[in-house]
Amino acid sequence: MKPIHLVFALLLVIAGITVFVLTSEMPPGASGAPHPEIAGLSLGGDGADRLDTIGKAPYYFQITVILLAGTLLYMGIPAHRRDRLLRICFGIGIAFALFVWVMLYTGYEAYLATGKTVVMFGFPVPTNWMFWGIWGSFAAFDVFYAVAFRRYFLHPDDEAAFHDLAREMETDQIENREAN
Amino acid sequence: MEEFRQPIILGFVALYMGICIWVGIWAMRRTKSAGDFFVAGRGLGPMVVSLAVFSSTLSGFGFVGGPGLVYATGLSSIWMAVCSALGFATGYYLIAKRIRMIAEVRNSMSLPDIVFARYGSEAARLLTAGTILLGVLGYLATQILAMGLVLQSILQGTDMFSDISLVASVVISSTVLIFYCVTGGIVASVYTDLVQGIVMIIAGALVVITAAHVFEGGFAEATGILLANDGEDIMPFGTLGAMASLSWYFLFGLGLAGQPHVATKMMMNRNLSDNKIILPMTVFGYVVAAMLWISVGVIMRALVLGDVGLPLGNADQAAPEFLSTYAHPILAGIVFAGLFAAIMSTADGFLNIGAAAVIHDIPKAIRGRSLDNELFWARSATIILSVIAASIALYSGQLVALLGAFGWGTFAAALVPVVLIGLNWKQASARAAVAAITLSLAINFAIQLWSIKIPYGISGGFLAMLSSMIVFIAISLVEKPKPLPKDIDRILEL
Repeated sequence: MKPIHLVFALLLVIAGITVFVLTSEMPPGASGAPHPEIAGLSLGGDGADRLDTIGKAPYYFQITVILLAGTLLYMGIPAHRRDRLLRICFGIGIAFALFVWVMLYTGYEAYLATGKTVVMFGFPVPTNWMFWGIWGSFAAFDVFYAVAFRRYFLHPDDEAAFHDLAREMETDQIENREAN
Repeated sequence: MEEFRQPIILGFVALYMGICIWVGIWAMRRTKSAGDFFVAGRGLGPMVVSLAVFSSTLSGFGFVGGPGLVYATGLSSIWMAVCSALGFATGYYLIAKRIRMIAEVRNSMSLPDIVFARYGSEAARLLTAGTILLGVLGYLATQILAMGLVLQSILQGTDMFSDISLVASVVISSTVLIFYCVTGGIVASVYTDLVQGIVMIIAGALVVITAAHVFEGGFAEATGILLANDGEDIMPFGTLGAMASLSWYFLFGLGLAGQPHVATKMMMNRNLSDNKIILPMTVFGYVVAAMLWISVGVIMRALVLGDVGLPLGNADQAAPEFLSTYAHPILAGIVFAGLFAAIMSTADGFLNIGAAAVIHDIPKAIRGRSLDNELFWARSATIILSVIAASIALYSGQLVALLGAFGWGTFAAALVPVVLIGLNWKQASARAAVAAITLSLAINFAIQLWSIKIPYGISGGFLAMLSSMIVFIAISLVEKPKPLPKDIDRILEL
């Protein structure tokens, strides 16, 4: 299966989940409710109630989005540079992003079930997973870009091939101008 | 020092604007052709490009609208910020190298030029330029209005300008913006972005430290107040809920590469290999500056819900109110300058791509060549666009809201499939590009025009982007692949 086919399949899955959510009955305050006394502020209310009709749809939605993001990034690497090491690195990177998401969501579900959460570094633990984990899991791909730049993203041979192409095109343009 | 608060703030803002004017004069000497005006002759260093990319991405929205959203709805909007690492990764993995290569080989000056080079379709070029023009007017109008409002609030705090009007404030701030954009084009834009990026990083870092000391127990105490009052607001999905937050993550994370003011800057670096340094520097700059968005919003919400502070009349007052009450006057001065920096760095990028659309892309798509004396017309178009945008901002009422919606979501929905997928998949077709752009515009327009409220707070831009990506790939898959021009075919291999 080519990466573009996987991208297409994942987009269809995301569309399917979205349609399911859009057609589900919406509980009151599903996207927040106005604060009874303070104008301009909204409240979340009972988070568990808000997920009542759509269940774990957000959980599977984000898993699919992470897989889609990983596949798209993989597409950005020239096909002839994709080797086993790259697939291992991407596998680890995507697995880490999925792990972060699972920790965030299960932590949030635990809060919804018990109403209790642990505060670390000034914020609830699931929120920390969001701040640092969601951001950090793709920051790892940014670091990989810098570290493996010459191996996967701009190999010296590819750079030389591009300069050859640029010279060739310049010569073509000059010849065309002279011919005209 | 407290009695000099307003003069200090005004001094910092005046100093910042003075620097912008000086950069405009300096850049004028380096702007000798339309190529210099639109893409800086593809000769910028990595530091300039990285700060220009990040500061254009984090507009005034990040410094004013962002804290306001956190104040009003808790952490829902933070998904727009935590997706930045993914957003910049998609930009650099998928388009930065190829866009720069095509720009060099085809001497491209704008994103519509790149779209034409890739698809060989004038219709695709025209639609891309039209989308950019719509988005530019909307974005610019809102940015100009934000600049005017902030300047008015600063000046009204002084004795001399206590009754200054909004129109006068818009005129003053727009004049500075227009001056450096007209004289120095993109050269002035990116070098002011450099200054603006540095100011934004400093402002972001200092505000976090200040915010952490508002409550004796720091952020933990603020979190305790929020947990006791609602709880959902300080949990990962805020008050808007999971689907709203995740749809923003999709739209902003995967949509960043489709933002024309960001993508255009990816064709300006001197060397292809500079991308290695540009990506991490961009991500670092953005994350530090974006901390202001989170910290100010959380603290202001906790102050109000904890009965420590008075409710705000308008959520967008969260950042100015925080600065005027809790920040040291010098910090407030730096952050207000940072606020102008955030607004102007986005606005100047839009002015530049808008001028390119008007005098370069649309004429090329319609009559096969751009205007004669492009540099003169580029400067004229910059002035005219600014005046139209300022008029829309001040006098249009509904129109500014309608055009404002033609911002991030429209660009992402229209351009991500065409640019991000199209530059990485040879089978992508021109007909698919035209269909994807048209569909995305229709969906965005319909949602805005008929004020369609989408269940679960799901973003309309997300629905448009998802639909256009699916349509783009589906049409390309069923069409018979056509051979690409030699240069594009080889670039797509690299």
